Amino acid sequence: MSAPATSATGALLELDGVGAGYDDALALRDVTFRAEPGDRIAVLGPNGGGKTTLFRVIVGELAVRTGTARTAGDVAIVPQTERSRLDFPVSALDVVLMGTIAARPWWRGPRRADRDAARDALAAVDLADLADRSFGSLSGGQRQRVFVARALVRQARVLLLDEPYRGLDTASARRLDELITRLAGEGRTLLIATHDVAQARAWDRVLCVNGRQVAFGSPASTLTPETLAGTYGSDLLRVDADGELAVVAEHHCG
Amino acid sequence: MFEPFTLPFVQRGLWEVLLLSAGAGVLGVWIVLRGLAFYAHGVAAATFPGLVLAAGLGFAGPLGALAVALVFAGTVGRLAARDDAADHGTLTAMVLVGALAVGVVLASDVYPRATDVQSLLFGSLLVISERDLVIAGAVSAAVLVATLALGPRWLTVGFDRSGARALGVRGGPSDAVLLLLVALVAVAALSAVGSLLAAAVMVIPAATVRPWIRRMRPWQITTVLLTAVHGVCGLWLSAQTNAPPGATIAVLAGGTFAVSLLARVLRDHLRSRGAGGPSAVADRPAGLGVGA
Repeated sequence: MSAPATSATGALLELDGVGAGYDDALALRDVTFRAEPGDRIAVLGPNGGGKTTLFRVIVGELAVRTGTARTAGDVAIVPQTERSRLDFPVSALDVVLMGTIAARPWWRGPRRADRDAARDALAAVDLADLADRSFGSLSGGQRQRVFVARALVRQARVLLLDEPYRGLDTASARRLDELITRLAGEGRTLLIATHDVAQARAWDRVLCVNGRQVAFGSPASTLTPETLAGTYGSDLLRVDADGELAVVAEHHCG
Repeated sequence: MFEPFTLPFVQRGLWEVLLLSAGAGVLGVWIVLRGLAFYAHGVAAATFPGLVLAAGLGFAGPLGALAVALVFAGTVGRLAARDDAADHGTLTAMVLVGALAVGVVLASDVYPRATDVQSLLFGSLLVISERDLVIAGAVSAAVLVATLALGPRWLTVGFDRSGARALGVRGGPSDAVLLLLVALVAVAALSAVGSLLAAAVMVIPAATVRPWIRRMRPWQITTVLLTAVHGVCGLWLSAQTNAPPGATIAVLAGGTFAVSLLARVLRDHLRSRGAGGPSAVADRPAGLGVGA
């Protein structure tokens, strides 16, 4: 979170000419967009194209080198579950409670109010009955929702989901769809890194990045063969008789 | 059968192991969880030259040990904690060997008359002083307080370091406290098991319990109890057999660990043959997380 909010605009997230990187070269440049409450924004881009860099900038983990990034309210990242230790002796509730730490003084452990909030957050993602199960024993989709609950318990208004559909079966993916729509309906902004063009078509906005911002706008205006070719280059593949575009890309976030 | 425990010096040893087991057991769980086992062994072994210097120059042994332990924690430990995944084993091993070598040279050539190398390396549980008891009690109390206050942070950072940063949990300060506590417990364990066997109370019991638990609290409680049982049984055995108590405790700890390991292998084998399928093993506690 780089600077205080600009409440006058009503946007939860406002990036203007943002560039960022890890060494002298910028991994991502020229990112300019606004996100309003309720926006579901698909973030499309090849691996190494800057999706993770963008998320790290928005969450305040990586410094903005050029331009400005403004966020209103708390931002939370919903990471890929593989990055956490599945062998840790923690329950789903323990993981959600991790989201309450920053709001407490450093010497204080979780109170009853924190536990209640964590249980409420788990209930909000339909996992109330699995609160005491070991995190590592949950399915990929359930772990993903535990991380969403961890973001909710922080009252985050901007949620960044890092390829949440990766490895989910159809039923889990549908539940995640419903959850994303419901959270947007509550006035939150969701940025969802994905490779699924068909899915992106169903959301409100699409942001295409490939080292720089290729396009931002409604699905109809952005999901064109030209834009997608500019985003994915040779990874792009045309399928289906009706001309539906799909992306073939290795599944790891860059 | 229990007459050894009526002897005052054995009773002091008993108090020492009981006071120590609270702090060493609870911290041992964090050491195993965060992959700091080799660091813990290193910081304890590195105290040896400090102990020799203290004996030679005539100041309090724990002070010399603490000074070296803090230097070790400040260098090797900071590197180890910065990134759980990175392997600082080589550096730890080099510093550890260097410290032992310096200690041996000091003990044999500079202060040959002042030092009893054996008790510095392997402990002297039958000659425990009031000071040792105070140190063990104070360090254990510090560990318990720190676990209540900082445990959630240690857990969060170990679970997912970059995710923790995104949650607003900065790992640096709380991890520094964790490393400092490991150094303190190592110093407190010196009088009981010496600098070479400190891992027997700081690491092995927690690693022994690890495959059989699913949550932090039971892991900590069971580890404290097991550490205490090792200490009491080791003390009694050494009084009966005239064996050195520190080494006896270490042998008991190692034996229990071997049994736990075997039982786990057997359990996994039976599970994979039995009701079968990945679902049958899905909720079992994970394997050992002992680094290096």
